[in-house]
Amino acid sequence: MSMTSRAGRFPIPICPASLGSRRFPTLGEFVFATAQYESGDWDSAPLVPSNLIDSVARYTSLPVAPTGAIVSLASDDLFRFPLVFLTGHLPVRFTDGERANVRRFADRGGMLFVDDHNHDIDGAFHKTAIEELSRAVGPLSQLPNTHSIYTAFFKFPDGPPNTSHELNGWGDNLVHSHLLATMRGDRIAVLYSNKDYSSEWGYHPDNKRFLAVDNTKFGVNIIVYALTR
Amino acid sequence: MRPLERVNRTRRALAVTIVTRAALGAAAATLLAAALLTAVTRAAGLATSAAVWLVASLAGAIALALLMRPWRRLTVPRVALWIEERAPVLQYALVTAVDSLAVGPGAVFLEREVERLSWDRAARAAMIRGLRWPVLATAAGLAALLLAMRVDAAAIIEHDRATPRVITAGARDVAAPFARLTATVRPPAYAGGDAVRVESPVSIEALVGSMIILEAAGNGEGVVARAGEQSISVQAGGGAWRVTLTVGSRPTLLRLRHGSVERIVAVEPRPDSTPVVRLLLPARDTVVRTARGELRLSAEAHDDIGLTSAAFEYIVSSGEGESFKFKSGTLGTRHVDSGRELAVDAMLGLGALGLEPGDMVHLRAVARDGNTVSGPGVGASETRVLRVARAGEYDSIAVDGAPPPDTDKSLISQRMLILLTEAVEKRRPTLTRETLLSESRNIARDQTRLRKRVGDIIFQRLGNNPTGEEGRNPDEAPASDSAAPVADSAARDSVRRAKARAGRSPREIAAADSADSARAALLRAASAATGRGDEILDFEGDETPVVAINRPLLEAYNAMWEASRELDQGQTGRALPPMRRALAAIQRARQAERVYLRGKAPAVVVDLARVRLTGKENGAASTRVPRAPTDPAAARRAERLAAAIELAARSPAAAIDSLVLLRVESVDAAPRLAAALADVLAAMRTGRDATSLLARARRVADGSVRASGHLGLWSGVW
Repeated sequence: MSMTSRAGRFPIPICPASLGSRRFPTLGEFVFATAQYESGDWDSAPLVPSNLIDSVARYTSLPVAPTGAIVSLASDDLFRFPLVFLTGHLPVRFTDGERANVRRFADRGGMLFVDDHNHDIDGAFHKTAIEELSRAVGPLSQLPNTHSIYTAFFKFPDGPPNTSHELNGWGDNLVHSHLLATMRGDRIAVLYSNKDYSSEWGYHPDNKRFLAVDNTKFGVNIIVYALTR
Repeated sequence: MRPLERVNRTRRALAVTIVTRAALGAAAATLLAAALLTAVTRAAGLATSAAVWLVASLAGAIALALLMRPWRRLTVPRVALWIEERAPVLQYALVTAVDSLAVGPGAVFLEREVERLSWDRAARAAMIRGLRWPVLATAAGLAALLLAMRVDAAAIIEHDRATPRVITAGARDVAAPFARLTATVRPPAYAGGDAVRVESPVSIEALVGSMIILEAAGNGEGVVARAGEQSISVQAGGGAWRVTLTVGSRPTLLRLRHGSVERIVAVEPRPDSTPVVRLLLPARDTVVRTARGELRLSAEAHDDIGLTSAAFEYIVSSGEGESFKFKSGTLGTRHVDSGRELAVDAMLGLGALGLEPGDMVHLRAVARDGNTVSGPGVGASETRVLRVARAGEYDSIAVDGAPPPDTDKSLISQRMLILLTEAVEKRRPTLTRETLLSESRNIARDQTRLRKRVGDIIFQRLGNNPTGEEGRNPDEAPASDSAAPVADSAARDSVRRAKARAGRSPREIAAADSADSARAALLRAASAATGRGDEILDFEGDETPVVAINRPLLEAYNAMWEASRELDQGQTGRALPPMRRALAAIQRARQAERVYLRGKAPAVVVDLARVRLTGKENGAASTRVPRAPTDPAAARRAERLAAAIELAARSPAAAIDSLVLLRVESVDAAPRLAAALADVLAAMRTGRDATSLLARARRVADGSVRASGHLGLWSGVW
């Protein structure tokens, strides 16, 4: 598995990797990027990147950077990353620059993974994020549970795995059976989740050893899907 | 010439004039009617057809019939009278002369008088005057008709010059079905506006939702129309055929085919733009110390077609961390029927929003257009945020507290524990007693961990040690806690405390007593709150607020304890009811107040090599290489060298002598040592630092490490 297919669509420059938010991907190295946007608490899930990086390193041979990056949605740096993670609790209101960049990002082969940290279908994040994403990239529709993202690496025959927050009745007290997505052709451009993976995956990767079943495996699927489609 | 003959001559001239005038009048009526009908049909978006000319001809025939009515009055007396009117000098002599009753001697006189006078000039002028208006009317009709049809003429020329054709047969086929193709574009009702007619269209740009009618003369037989992959029906009637389609959101290629001739018309949709909204006031994000007064809001909106409403939207978000509450609303809504520009103003009363410190108000303006086809289009402005400062935010650097991360996220939820227990209960008939106990106790341990976490939360709220619950390891054997904790277990506690006091210092014993008293207070409160104690507290009176808030969690705590006890005994069926009670209690606690078990965490750098098991394992023994047994002579040389080095610190000269002696003896047996000693002596004699040289000489004297292809027996522990 390599990133050559993705690199073909994304002009990834060769530049020295640096730590922190200015980390850019070197050629062939995957850097997990968290989206920074003007409104809301974009940094509400600080442990998710490291946890997913740990899972990618644990299960795959993908070259991966040991730390994530933070990228502004309004910045051209956004186009350096094939997959960008966006989360938060508060209302999402894109600026014009952010909206235009998200549209270009989706059109040019990027994948935006949006997760509602409230796990609340009637919450402000959900309503505003759906509205903003619809304006930026088009309407979101239910992603069938037979989609290839559920078999991109691990097999999830029942669709998106449930989170403990869903099973405990947090948020809207619903178990969401589907994810939402906006497609570009047969490719997912925006993947939207109400399942609160931000909470489910928000723990130190060292604690993964306590889990009977690693609950971040679906995150690996998302990353592998984004890098190979 | 006699008067009667002269009158008849004039009568014939008048007959010609009447016919000419009638013909011209009929032509004028026909042309004017044709021009009028052509203009009307085109204004209605219909094609010009033979019906127009039929109606025009009818009008001409009517005009002809009307204008020929004087023919019947063309008798000699009437003509004579008509002449008398034009030539008054006749003084009725002509009328009398042509009268058949006028005979006798007077008739001759009258004929002479009439012969003396001439009316030809006057009659000719009158007849010319009578033809003037029909000629003008005919010219006007012709001009009007040409004016009405001038677009057709221009279109024919333009079509011949510019229309791309897909011709696979002779050029004669092209003109037949599509030569005079016209398109009528009707915009959607909400957009208003008139229908637009396009002659011989190559491409049509129209608003999404518009209706396009393509029309051409003929019966449409053999014409096939397709829009993209979709077939469109061809309708015929009134001497023309037509194709109707609605403009969608994507460009469409309309193909009209007749035999080997194909005509392509591109339909380009023009989307209705969403309104552009600009929030003028407030101009920027704001932080206020206290939420008082009113905030003026102002915005303007613009749309390409027409706006229907505009308003301000606000969302108030309260809370922090993982717990937020929201409320939203609109204000200043303004509705209009249409109009491309709309301004909206409003006043936002901050006091009415009930803002607390830390709350944020998200403000924006929203406008909607009247798009009923694909809309309405909703445009929104940038969002401004007004934040109410928290207490203590001023005069200091705002640093959010970052409690240590909650590292124990491996707790299985109560709902999951129930599912696991139900699964074991379902398989119970097929399990051996040992297997059942093993699986049941595994669940019991998870139940105990969860109970302990709930206890921690309660202790945290009580203000005691977060780990104030008894520090029992949840993984240890559960035999000692099989009894209910909230029962009056003073005796058991005293025994346990006595055991715990053994070997402790007084300070440790005091600390333990304090923790025990806190625990006892908690358990008493739990017992009372859940109705399992000796008395039930009055929630209106005696119960403390802390207990009141924690009541559901206390119930869950007790139910979990009971469940774990049953599970320890392998009684999965009896464990399920208290587990469900615990879940219900947690649900109530959740509804009362959201509790999230996580704080801010520091950035984590993943050790990729360690995760992938490719890094260096610290602290692990590596494979060792055994050394060869030491030569006794070499050992003696090493001892002598060590003694000389030790002597060098006290007596350098004596050390030099010893080293010289050692070197001489080593020349044959140990040449490398001799060479190393030569370097040492050279350095010492010149007063240079010989430490490194001495170390090198000692390594040589000790002998080099010899590599081995296999491990010695001593290292074969693996």
